Amino acid sequence: MSTNPEEFEFGSHIGEERVAGAPPHGPPSLRAELRGYIIGLVLAAVLTAASFWSLDEHVIYAPGIVMALIVLGLAQVGVHLVFFLHLTTAPDNTNNALALAFGVLIVSLIFFGSIWVMYHMNANMIPTKTLMQMRGG
Amino acid sequence: MTLLGKLTWQAFPLDEPLPLFSGVAVFLILIGIILWIWRNGHIPYLWREWITSVDHKRIGIMYFMLGSVMLLRGFIDAIMLRTQQAMAFDAPGFLPPSHFDQVFSAHGTIMIFFVAMPFMIGLMNLIVPLQLGVRDVAFPTLNSVSFWLTAAGALLVNLSLVVGQFDRTGWLPYPPLSELRYSPGVGVDYYCWAIQISGVGTLMTGINFVTTILKLRAPGMHYTRMPMFCWTALASNLLIVAAFPVLTATLAMLLLDRYVGFHFFTDTAGGNSMLFMNLIWAWGHPEVYILVLPAFGIFSEVVSTFSCKPLFGYRSMIYATMAICIIAFMVWLHHFFTMGAGATVNSIFGIASMIIAIPTGVKIFNWLFTMYGGTVRLCTPMLWAIGFMVSFTIGGMTGVLLAVPPADFQLHNSLFLVAHFHNVIIAGVVFGAFAGYTYWFPKAFGFVLDERLGKWAFWLWLIGLWVAWGPGYIVGLEGMTRRLQSYDVAEWHPWLLVMAGGVGIILLGILAQIAQIIVSVRTRDQRRDLTGDPWDGRNLEWATSSPPPSFNFAALPNVTDLEPYWDIKTRAREIGELARPEPQYEPIPMPRNSPTGFVTAFFATITGFSLIWHIWWLVILGLVGAYATFVGFAWRDHDEVLIPAEEVARLDRANRAARATRLQEQMAERESQRESGR
Repeated sequence: MSTNPEEFEFGSHIGEERVAGAPPHGPPSLRAELRGYIIGLVLAAVLTAASFWSLDEHVIYAPGIVMALIVLGLAQVGVHLVFFLHLTTAPDNTNNALALAFGVLIVSLIFFGSIWVMYHMNANMIPTKTLMQMRGG
Repeated sequence: MTLLGKLTWQAFPLDEPLPLFSGVAVFLILIGIILWIWRNGHIPYLWREWITSVDHKRIGIMYFMLGSVMLLRGFIDAIMLRTQQAMAFDAPGFLPPSHFDQVFSAHGTIMIFFVAMPFMIGLMNLIVPLQLGVRDVAFPTLNSVSFWLTAAGALLVNLSLVVGQFDRTGWLPYPPLSELRYSPGVGVDYYCWAIQISGVGTLMTGINFVTTILKLRAPGMHYTRMPMFCWTALASNLLIVAAFPVLTATLAMLLLDRYVGFHFFTDTAGGNSMLFMNLIWAWGHPEVYILVLPAFGIFSEVVSTFSCKPLFGYRSMIYATMAICIIAFMVWLHHFFTMGAGATVNSIFGIASMIIAIPTGVKIFNWLFTMYGGTVRLCTPMLWAIGFMVSFTIGGMTGVLLAVPPADFQLHNSLFLVAHFHNVIIAGVVFGAFAGYTYWFPKAFGFVLDERLGKWAFWLWLIGLWVAWGPGYIVGLEGMTRRLQSYDVAEWHPWLLVMAGGVGIILLGILAQIAQIIVSVRTRDQRRDLTGDPWDGRNLEWATSSPPPSFNFAALPNVTDLEPYWDIKTRAREIGELARPEPQYEPIPMPRNSPTGFVTAFFATITGFSLIWHIWWLVILGLVGAYATFVGFAWRDHDEVLIPAEEVARLDRANRAARATRLQEQMAERESQRESGR
């Protein structure tokens, strides 16, 4: 932990103009901001087009299509995070990065956990149809 | 399709005396209270100072009041359940099965969503901004919306008492029973919409508090200088943000099944009812930690203050809290070991459930070591904390026992399980809420609660808890399953009579608490807290006057260490005068009050009610109204009021004078002690 007094000054309160976590040099110029959004828009559009295009069986190896879609989807998430939600690796962005990591962790736990649990349930259960027949239904 | 949807005169219990009379009685009491308030001209005051208030302290107090009123409602259900089971040995008792099912469903729903949650969120509202040394939460108006949406959910649950009926499927509506085919009435719909509306409020509270704790802190307050209660509040709100959308989505799927014929959970049409259990517990297990983590924070504050020592193992406490925050999402399957996931899955979730007991154990030891070597003052909050440590440890151990899958196959859905979760939730969450209530009451209202009646309340609750739920473990091991409307096993009957006695003892405890409030309010002039620091506290909430001014701090404190207020006091005692010089008083802008929350909740209630009864035109009207309220709020451009510097100076100087007097008294006392010691 540094004892640099400026680093302590991340608190802010109601009525204060400065917002904690805001860039210290003031807002970036309109040009720079516009450039960021346009790059993001182009990348997002390209990735979207690519996922439709990859559905054509002649373009890539057919069994790989699902994997390709997953990869393109993740890339799309990345583009949105960087260009539209402005996630960076700057020190004032630690909270956002941590929040994202926490979110990804929890969603993965619930998502993959549920699939795993439900798969085992399914494998161990009597199929509903058999059950209905046993009951005479 | 009629104008009033499914709502007809048959919805009112005109032929059932019990709900009819209780409903009419409650209605008359409510009308009476409103008339009394109106006659005495308090409505403008209530509207201006409370209903439209966006002050976190006022909202916190209103949350706590909502929780208290709902505790009475849920406790009446508890009395009915215990009485029924005491009477129903080889007999029908006084509650017919359809009514009994509604009572246990309502009891669980109310106690978790509308008692435990408002208690915890209320205390967080009251204290977290004060401890962080800031003036309000990050989004004050959103905070008010959250509260009023929670209140709207509570209103809908209570409305089901007189209009229609409540859910009969237990506090979690498991399909297939909760599907339209087996529950064609409005009960499940009441449950779902009440929880959906209050759930939105809770989610917004979560976002609000995560933002507040991460972004708004007094200058110098590092993460590792935050009071323990703020840490547990952060963990709890992270869990809210992560878990509540799961609840909302799960109930939305059930509602789609019920309203528009989807088949998410209908086994016979390609759905899977087990998916509901899986998803609802993916929310449900984190939910218990959402409730108990703030309570752990409260106990940390109380134990440290009343042992006159800093909290032992502050860092390990943070690690334990955050470990619980993550592992809370890895144990949900232990709620349905018996559903048949097989040995691999069951053992992994069983082991995870045992692992989560370890950070909790770390906390218990930290509290014990905080007390060790300290000067322990047995005031009421500390009694609740000690009662918690003893009872919760036992409840926790029965939990670890239930986490062993083979044992769980014997105990699943028995009264052993029910005894376990009452043991941990009452001893953990409810005792925590009461510890926080007695500890922070002087901060909220400016006078200390009566200690003698407080101690009576504690002992009655503690003994009542064990008399009511100790036998639960025994009958559970004897094979009694939960939710039995009547039974014919003679061995259970004496224990169930004892349990009914236990609920009577808890009733006396609640009466002692009511008496405590009445006595304390009557004698408030003798029990004023003039300095704002009645317990010799250690964190920043005690650096403000009691009750704190709307802006909390005249000048934001500069935090240089853990326990900032203790440092200030120590320095003051060393130099013999107030440690902080009088600040330069400046006008303080504060958020303006707003009726947005109240009006939004009004429309949300209308929307919920008309969705339950399929009154579609009213649904549209409610939604449009709620949206218009939001637009109206977004449109306003005058959103702050300026508190003049003179007003700030007046309030702060009065408090400084009181503190200076107290300091002189303490110095004189110490001097005379030194004289007599010589």
